[in-house]
Amino acid sequence: MSTATDLLPAARGGTGTKTGGRRFGAFRLFGGQSSGGESAAKRVQFSSPFLPYLFLAPQLAIIFIFFYWPSVQAIQSSFYLEDPFGFGSTFVGMTNYTDVLKSGEYLGIARFTAVFTALVTFFALSIGLLLAVKADGVIRGNAAYRTLLIWVYAIAPPVAGLIGMMFFDQHIGPIVELARWFGWDIKVGLNYFDTAFSMVVVSVWKQIPYNFIFFLSGLQGIPVSVREAAAIDCRSGFRRFWTVILPLLAPTAFFLLIINVTYALFDTFGVIDVMVKDKAANNPITLVYKVYMDGFRGNDLGGSSAQSVILMLIVFVLTIFQFRFIERRVHYN
Amino acid sequence: MYRTKIFDHVILMFGVFIMVAPVVVAFMTSTHEAADIHRNGLSLTWGGHFVETYQTVLTREGGFTGKITGFNMMLNSMILGLGFAVGKIVLSMLAAYALVYFRFPLATFFFWVIFTTLLLPLEVRILPSYEVMNTLKLTNTYTGLIVPLLASATGTFYFRQFFKSVPDELLEAARIDGAGPFKFFIDVLVPLSRTMMAAIFIIMFVYGWNQYLWPTLMTTDEGFFTLVRGIKQILLVWVGSNIPDYNEAFALAILAMLPPVMIVVIFQRWFIKGLTESDK
Amino acid sequence: MFKKFSLAALTIAFSATSSFAATNITWWHGMAGRNGEVINEVSKKFNEAQSACALTPVSKGTYEEALASGIAAFRSGEQPNILQVFDAGAATIINAKGAVIPAEDLIIKAGHNFDRNAFIDGVRYFYADSEGKFVGMPFNSSAPIMYINDEALKKAGVEAPKTWEEFEAAAPKLKEAGYIPLVQSQLTWQFTENFFSRNNIQFATNNNGYDAVVDTQLKVTDPNLIMMFDKLKAWKDEGYFAFYGAGWNDNQKVFEEGKAAFWIGSSGSFGGLQKTAQMPFSATFLPYWGSIKGAGTNSFIGGAALFAMSGKSDEENKCVADFFQFLTSPEIQYFYHKATGYVAITKAAYELAQKDGYYKEKPVAEVGIKQLMLPAGDWSKGYRLGFYPQIREIMEREYGRIFSGETTVKDAFDTIEKEGNELLARFAKTAG
Repeated sequence: MSTATDLLPAARGGTGTKTGGRRFGAFRLFGGQSSGGESAAKRVQFSSPFLPYLFLAPQLAIIFIFFYWPSVQAIQSSFYLEDPFGFGSTFVGMTNYTDVLKSGEYLGIARFTAVFTALVTFFALSIGLLLAVKADGVIRGNAAYRTLLIWVYAIAPPVAGLIGMMFFDQHIGPIVELARWFGWDIKVGLNYFDTAFSMVVVSVWKQIPYNFIFFLSGLQGIPVSVREAAAIDCRSGFRRFWTVILPLLAPTAFFLLIINVTYALFDTFGVIDVMVKDKAANNPITLVYKVYMDGFRGNDLGGSSAQSVILMLIVFVLTIFQFRFIERRVHYN
Repeated sequence: MYRTKIFDHVILMFGVFIMVAPVVVAFMTSTHEAADIHRNGLSLTWGGHFVETYQTVLTREGGFTGKITGFNMMLNSMILGLGFAVGKIVLSMLAAYALVYFRFPLATFFFWVIFTTLLLPLEVRILPSYEVMNTLKLTNTYTGLIVPLLASATGTFYFRQFFKSVPDELLEAARIDGAGPFKFFIDVLVPLSRTMMAAIFIIMFVYGWNQYLWPTLMTTDEGFFTLVRGIKQILLVWVGSNIPDYNEAFALAILAMLPPVMIVVIFQRWFIKGLTESDK
Repeated sequence: MFKKFSLAALTIAFSATSSFAATNITWWHGMAGRNGEVINEVSKKFNEAQSACALTPVSKGTYEEALASGIAAFRSGEQPNILQVFDAGAATIINAKGAVIPAEDLIIKAGHNFDRNAFIDGVRYFYADSEGKFVGMPFNSSAPIMYINDEALKKAGVEAPKTWEEFEAAAPKLKEAGYIPLVQSQLTWQFTENFFSRNNIQFATNNNGYDAVVDTQLKVTDPNLIMMFDKLKAWKDEGYFAFYGAGWNDNQKVFEEGKAAFWIGSSGSFGGLQKTAQMPFSATFLPYWGSIKGAGTNSFIGGAALFAMSGKSDEENKCVADFFQFLTSPEIQYFYHKATGYVAITKAAYELAQKDGYYKEKPVAEVGIKQLMLPAGDWSKGYRLGFYPQIREIMEREYGRIFSGETTVKDAFDTIEKEGNELLARFAKTAG
């Protein structure tokens, strides 16, 4: 893949447009330069003995107090079986982990979570990108489209869930009635596949505006001169998008990929809670919902903490994979 | 620029329809009576109870202390949303600036320390977090509501991505002009990041605005009720004697959408092309 | 301006001194909507009735959220005086020795009389220890009862069944008349936990879990329970029973629309049904099996109870005791019964409601209480099982699989028993 500007002789030396040189070789996540510059993205950096720490301090302080402190406690309780009120606890070593991993039900939930995450991420990203590109392209009505597509994002999760649930109601849901026309009898809450389908639809719907906003802001950040040059360079809109626009959006897309994966894993919890109507029964659920059910509702601190740690490891591995294999394809400047 | 095609408009119209129709339906539904909604579900027609329902949710003094009014809940949501969004932007811009523009030992380590916070959402560590808040005596305070939510990496990660895509030449030019790290940040980077800041602001404002579980756990004073909690309160009717006041829930939901919409409209102009004189 | 200000300051100072004498107590609950409002009304009545105590109720979301909040607060010493805990969470809080002061001890210590016999039978044991001492104070109680679509019975020419045998005889006629004969809204509560109590069958070892935590095991592979679910499955296949998943409302709706003849719901459902049912309806007891010896005993309560959390001062505990006394007074019980649809829990309150002619006006409101007052049996008082919310989830999962044909009834109950017993064993360890 080549950077956009290399295709654009017109842009070279064009006013105000700077072209970053091509940088071959991936930035390396670990190790890398011994100077320790984070991923060495910048050729030029400030160096100061204390400033960076000063800038990092507020963020780090909050993270240590409100993230690491409670998280360490959560990890600790995964090795115990304890009475929720804190009267007694028994050290059980890895038992909580083995109990979880032995259970066929848990593995089934993990399988569903993988499929669900892939589907939600793919559709939410692609629809968001499609709408952003189209909205960026139109001049007339641009602001109206933008407003309408963004403000839906503001709908409160319980209400989004409620609307979703009513649309998919077994007896009076409009989507269910629509599907009957096509001979598909949707039974959300009864049929595993149908429930999964409705969960994916509602989860994607809720995430589209998020992706739209970021893709749009990424697109709006592309200098006019580059666009003009690209327009001269590639006649076909599709090719222009593929060779110029997409590479420039890559950093945004990479960020969104990670965010959408974590969204599908964690934040769809509210949607699932509403769709299964508070009772998981034999409906599909995701790993994080299971953590909630066992910990928050079942008061099984040890078991749910162990599940949290497993979940953390999964996401961690996934993230490292994304950084190693995807971010190296992302061109900055 | 190239000509827009009809086809693009069709796609956008369809997108708008998919996104907005449910909201319109929610609004229409809010003008019906609760029992009617329970029986017939969502509605696309005008129910005729608009005035009374909205008057009720705005002015009724609910709760044990009478402190739960639509206005008060709105104010709390506002404080939560604004505090969270502003805090998030300030913290994450500073942190991302340090990570991208400075060469210092342990940078990678710090990046991962921050990044790890994406791996364990608040819901999963909510009980230990609550214990920490009790230890620090921060329950029933706005600080206690807002600050723990800031402990996540989304903003930092995003600004890091963005800063990395800013051309190096800008910094080179600035340094030739003799700008120091502060001047470069304020004069070059912040104006350049306007669109990004607007995007982050909208997302984070809504995130703070829509919090439910954490405020419920953290506050016992009815003066801290937020709109979303008010909505949940209406919907959580237990199996038994009553049906939820769906109409009021939908009405509150519509009201709850207004401030975020205002925010979006206000930040619109930040999204407009051609304002940035510093072309990337 | 200044004058105004000093006046305001004065009133504040004055009101502060007047309430200074009162002891403040808090009550965390998991009720919302109209039921939450009634809790506020009850609290206001208590505060108006006396001046020594000031009670503040706080809504903490759902039942589960209220329990989790209460636990988290207890761990950091910030617990409320009173916590509302729902039926499935009862074992969690009662088995945590030292988390609560038994209601009975608290009330006696405060100098009030406590008469266990004042409570109706179905209410007495569920939140009590194995000796029958009240640990939690029963508060909002409901019973699973059968609602009847009167038109359907008329059209099919059948009587409301007392037993499942009678239902089996009536079902074909109802189906012929164009109705779904039976729907229900919670298989765990109505067809499992209360199946054991209505048919007087043992649910778990160790006296249904009341006597000990260690080695308590489920007995859900009981042939009668398996028979019940085999029947349900067969009825479903023949069109005598319809199942719409685990959601309460999805199953209730067909009854409201007049498409179903019988619906097993909660005794408290009639208030909502009056607004939504599109036909006249009545109610009767949850059926039992005539073929099972000793069946027909009372059901036990669902809903929730109030627990007095430990670690509070004597003054505050005295206030909690006063409040519990206040709650059980017939007038308040009757008020709560009328306002929410939950059953009255004392005999005196029931008699008051009868005298007042309430049941002439609303006969359905009496069905739940009468069912709770039926003669008790050895196994009709309920269960005390740890991690029970999770055990319920296992049941719900397997029941769903039975009706979607993914498993057989026998296999489903084998799974429930196996996984449930693993959870019970884990729970026994937490008390270690």
